[in-house]
Amino acid sequence: MTAPAWLLQPEVGLCPCGCIGKRRKGSFVARTLAGATGVLRQAIFSEDVAAGPGLLQRLDPRVKLVSMVGLLVVVALVHSLPILAGAYVATVALAVASGLSVGFFIKRVWLFIPIFTGIVVLPATLSVVTPGDVLLPLWHWHGHTHGVTEQGLHGAGIIVTRVATSISLVVLLTLTTPWVRLLAALRALGVPKIFVLIIGMAYRYLFLLLDAVEDMYTARKARTLTGDAGRDGTRAGRRFVAAGAGTLFGKAHQLSEEIHQAMTARGYSGNARTLSGFRLRGADLAFALVAAALAAAILVADYKVGR
Amino acid sequence: MTTVFECKDLHYAYLERFPALDGVSLRVGQGETVALLGANGCGKSTLLKLLDGLLFGDRGTFTAFGEEVTEDKLEDEQFNHGFRARVGFVFQNSDAQVFSPSVREEIAFGCLQLGLDRASAAARVEDVLAMLDIADLADRAPFQLSGGQKKRVAIASVLVMNPEVLLFDEPTAALDPRTQFWLIELLEQLRGAGKTIVLATHDLDTLPDLADRCVVFSEQHRIVADAPTAQVLDDRDLLLSANLIHGRASLLRKT
Repeated sequence: MTAPAWLLQPEVGLCPCGCIGKRRKGSFVARTLAGATGVLRQAIFSEDVAAGPGLLQRLDPRVKLVSMVGLLVVVALVHSLPILAGAYVATVALAVASGLSVGFFIKRVWLFIPIFTGIVVLPATLSVVTPGDVLLPLWHWHGHTHGVTEQGLHGAGIIVTRVATSISLVVLLTLTTPWVRLLAALRALGVPKIFVLIIGMAYRYLFLLLDAVEDMYTARKARTLTGDAGRDGTRAGRRFVAAGAGTLFGKAHQLSEEIHQAMTARGYSGNARTLSGFRLRGADLAFALVAAALAAAILVADYKVGR
Repeated sequence: MTTVFECKDLHYAYLERFPALDGVSLRVGQGETVALLGANGCGKSTLLKLLDGLLFGDRGTFTAFGEEVTEDKLEDEQFNHGFRARVGFVFQNSDAQVFSPSVREEIAFGCLQLGLDRASAAARVEDVLAMLDIADLADRAPFQLSGGQKKRVAIASVLVMNPEVLLFDEPTAALDPRTQFWLIELLEQLRGAGKTIVLATHDLDTLPDLADRCVVFSEQHRIVADAPTAQVLDDRDLLLSANLIHGRASLLRKT
C-alpha cells in the first residue's frame, strides 16, 4: 500500500484561499435532529424522576393508569373554561406533590401546545370562523369589521386549556411511572400481550435508531466545512435526510430480523410471556377514590356552570 | 464421545446469490469447546445460526442430538421447545438480543417462553443476576447499559435457561480487557461444568484459553482445517491463507 504524496503533506484547509470559513447557525435539519435527540434524551432522565420519592411514584401503576384515563375522559367532556383552568392548576399541584420540577413540567407540557393546537386554533379566533364581538379589528370587508372575536378567543381558550390539562395528565403518568411498570400495568389491565410487547420494543429501539441518526449526522458534520446555510445547504440537507432515512430503514430492517432471531432462539413462537406482579395497598385505593370523587365533582360543577 | 451436532455438506447463500457456506461438514461432540475461526464474512456467524435452527441450509443436512433439524420440525412445538431449551445462542450484537424493557424481564424471557412458571423463573433470574454480578442492573432499561453490561445481560439471558450447548458469536469483540477476562473465566467455568461450547471468533490471543479444537474457514466459505487449538495456532501458513494473521504480524502465543 503506497500513500499518495498529498496525504503525507500537512494541509491547513482544502480551500485554495486559505480561509477557515464563517460561523453560521445550524440548519433546520441540524436543529430538528438535535431537538429530537434532546427530547428523547430527557426520557432517560425521566426514568430517574419516576424512581424518585413522591406522591404519584408511590402508587400502583394500574391505579394511576385507570385514574388518569378516567380524568382524561372527564376533561374532554368539560366545557367551562374556569373549571378546565382549575383542573390544569390541580395537575401542576400534583406535579409538585410528586417532586417534579414545576419549570420542567410546565415546559414539557407547553412545548407541544403551540405546535399542535395553536395552528388549529388560531383561525377559530377570527370572526370569519367564529362570528361575535370583535375585540381586535384586523381588516374591513364590505363595511364589516373583521378580526379576533371574544367568542373565538373563549373557544380557543377552552381547547388550549383542555389540551394542556390532558397533556399534563399524560406527562404526570409517564414521568412518575417507570416505563417497565407502565407496560406491566397495561398488560395487567388486559391490553393484549403482543401490543404491549410491540410498544415496549418500539420504545427500546427508538433510542438505538436515534443514536444511529445522531452518528450519521455527526459523521456528516465532521466532514462538512462550509456549514448548512443557504440554498445549497438546504438542498444538501434534504438530500442528507432522504439518504439518512433510507440508511436507517435498512438498519432497522436488519436489526428487526436479528431481534426476531434472538427471540426465536429463546423459545418465542408468537405468544410472549412476561414477569409481572402488583399488589394493591390502602394508599392506592384512597387515590382511586379521590380521583373518582374529583372526576364526579368536575362533571357536576361543569353541568351547573353550563346551566 | 456422544455427537451433539453433525453437519453434512451444508450449503447456504443469502438471497440465493451471496454464498456464506459452501459444503461445510462438521461434528461437535458432547462437552467439547470448538472455535470457528475465519476472516470477516467467511460464514462463521451463518453456521452458528444454522446450528441454532435460525437459518436452514439450501443443501446438506444438520443433525442435533441425533435428530435432523429442519424448518418443518421446528414448527412442532414440542420439538421446538426441546431444541431451544438445549441450545443457547449469545449473539454478537447484544442490542439485538437485549430487547425487553428491563434487565429482569430480559433474563426471564427464555424461561417463561419455554413454560417455566413465573415464581421459578423469577428465582432463576435472581440466581443468574447474582452469579454474573449484575443484580444492581436488574430494574434498568437496556438503553441505560454500557456495551459490557449488555453483553453480561445477553449471556445471563441464555444461561438462565441452562442449555446443554452454548453458541457464542464473537464473544470477546468490542469488550474492554476486564470484561474479556471475565468472559474467559466464565467460559472456563462452563467448560468445567460439561457444557458443549461452539464459538465464532477471529481473536487468536484469547483462543488457547477458550477452545480445545479449532475449525478454520477459508474466505471461500469452506472448512480448511479442523484440529486441536495448539496445532492450528502453530500452522502459520494456514492462518495466513485464512486471513487470520498478516504476513508482518507476529503471532503471540501463550505458553
